[in-house]
Amino acid sequence: MIPVRGPGGGGRPNGTVTGALAALFGTATFRLTIGSTAILLAVTLLQFSLIYWRITAYEVERADRLLDREAALMAAQSPADLLEQLRLWQTNDLRLLITAAGLFDADRRPLGGNLVEWPENLPVDGAIREITVHPLDQGVRTIRAEALPVHGGRFLVIGRGLRDLQQLREITLAAIETALIPAMLVSLGAGAWLGRRNLARVGRMQRAVDAIMEGGLHERLPVGRSGDEMARLATSVNRMLERLEHLLDEIRGVGDDIAHDLRTPLARVRAGLDRARLRSRDPDVLLGAVDRAIADLDQCFGIITALLRIGELENDRRRGHFGAVPLRELVSEIIEFYEPLAEKAGQTLTLDRTADLAVSGDRELLFELVANLVDNAIKFTPHGGHVAIAVLQRPNRQAVLRVSDTGIGIPVAERGMVMQRFFRSDKSRHIGGSGLGLSLVAAIARLHDATVQIGSGPDGTGTVFEIAFPAPAET
Amino acid sequence: MFALMSASIPSAPKPSRILLVEDDAPIAAEIVAELTARGYDVTHAETGPAGLDLAMGGAFDVLVLDRLLPELDGLAVLARLRAEAVRTPVLVLSALSAVDDRVTGLKAGGDDYLAKPFAMEELCARIEALLRRPSDTRETELVVGPIELDLIGRVARRTGRSLELLPREFRLLEYMARRPNQVLTRDMLLEDVWHYRFIPQTNLVDVHIGKLRRKLDTPDEVPLIQSIRGAGFMLRIPE
Repeated sequence: MIPVRGPGGGGRPNGTVTGALAALFGTATFRLTIGSTAILLAVTLLQFSLIYWRITAYEVERADRLLDREAALMAAQSPADLLEQLRLWQTNDLRLLITAAGLFDADRRPLGGNLVEWPENLPVDGAIREITVHPLDQGVRTIRAEALPVHGGRFLVIGRGLRDLQQLREITLAAIETALIPAMLVSLGAGAWLGRRNLARVGRMQRAVDAIMEGGLHERLPVGRSGDEMARLATSVNRMLERLEHLLDEIRGVGDDIAHDLRTPLARVRAGLDRARLRSRDPDVLLGAVDRAIADLDQCFGIITALLRIGELENDRRRGHFGAVPLRELVSEIIEFYEPLAEKAGQTLTLDRTADLAVSGDRELLFELVANLVDNAIKFTPHGGHVAIAVLQRPNRQAVLRVSDTGIGIPVAERGMVMQRFFRSDKSRHIGGSGLGLSLVAAIARLHDATVQIGSGPDGTGTVFEIAFPAPAET
Repeated sequence: MFALMSASIPSAPKPSRILLVEDDAPIAAEIVAELTARGYDVTHAETGPAGLDLAMGGAFDVLVLDRLLPELDGLAVLARLRAEAVRTPVLVLSALSAVDDRVTGLKAGGDDYLAKPFAMEELCARIEALLRRPSDTRETELVVGPIELDLIGRVARRTGRSLELLPREFRLLEYMARRPNQVLTRDMLLEDVWHYRFIPQTNLVDVHIGKLRRKLDTPDEVPLIQSIRGAGFMLRIPE
């Protein structure tokens, strides 16, 4: 880039000023001000024009009435009187009313008055016209005048100048100047001030955004007390930032959880293989170590697969496949699928009651949701226990899926946490599984806008999971 | 263990020909080594166009096609093959495990879909299943060794003894009876018998097989359903 050198070398401060001005002109507020000032100007000019037009019309009418009256009076006088009056008039007050007058003989030669030649375009018909004349003591003037015959075959021309009108015009223009120019200046000044204020606010927001981009996600945009559209926007952005920060924290937490939960089986794999290589020459023992390693690695893959599935569920693409899912049929199928497992664990798995309800959802995912709950219930219920599924309808028409068991239960303090990824109650550490079953339940429920509630049985033992689906829209 | 594996290899004099289209060299080497050890005739292509040329020209029994390939995507290869009326069964491999991807893979003309990472046993069992796909499904009776299945009346018998099977158990046995002496993995059973595509936290397939087994075998009979370590199950029909 070649620097452009301004004349006089004072380019830099000048450039900053120009830049600041350009920024000011660029603000929406200032542009708005310029626009409204232009409109103000146009409206004011229109108003003054109207006023001027009305005044002119009034003044012309007044002048014409005056001329007619004077003309009638003068025409009634004898020729000698008229000539005398004209001579007097030239030195008298009447000149304020009648500014031009002339008496002409039948051949239209001047006999008296200040008009020395017959004006052009003035027929002798007593009608008032606007004409140009050259009076004796004045230059060219525009007057309203009439010509009429008087006694003795003579003709009288009298006219009234438009000087009053001229004065009115000047007064109007002066009024425009005194009213409009200060108003425009005030308006532009206010615009500039508002623009600068907004510019400063945007500047503060930009600095906040810059700070956020540099990693300070806890920073927020300044909102101010104005409650205007900019404050509302800032509030929205702040809400978004809050959500982002929360998600990031969650991801960070999940990352730690993944690392921790994968480290345990991986450490086991490593230790097992290490020991087998150092200690054992027996092929069967080696084979056993390899099998155990594969099983542990499979558990790692299971964790990763479950995490990927949760991630997949958390972006909403699947809602496109939603259809009506009859819950009774779904629950019956679950019972059929899990019954052998319950039987093997020495438990009973029953269908309590089922309302004939359908919810909007993805059948496969809802199956997975219930399957995970039942799987969980069977896992945490001792021999001889009981697991029950029910489909109910709440008074507000919400469909509720309930899975209850007579198992070890979930302490009240842990109920909020069990839905989080990897959380496992201290009581359940010894029981196998990826630890993600309930996280999947939570993710699938969230996708269906359903709520998950955890409680305990009527006597305070066991666990009750209730999935409440949104009430169907009124038809 | 090896003796068991050899049972799944067809005893035909000419080995089945498999075309593997996979760009990841270490994985391809593993697959080729494993399939060759199992007696298949394996050809390997590294890119989509090369795989397409080979598949069009050579007479392969099964195609194993990776989805993400350089130059020409696996699904595009599949679409062109199907457009050219090449009907060779195709097993699509993919690192994408999402259910939707599986559906698009099958819609594009694939016969089966396997997400990476997979156990070698799973791959081999699925290739074998494609090679020995049951042809006729309209028969009314299925007789495999001592097992007789009346597909209309939904009645199952073993050497004349009637088996009290629940509908699901009947469907499981029917599926296995159509594929005797063939390794069937847990995922295959979940997908094909139950049509579930999620992996239950507990190994429910084992529980169901256990129940079927108890109904199928009396203590003095030869057990027909065998567990294949690290792979799944097999309905073993004595010669």
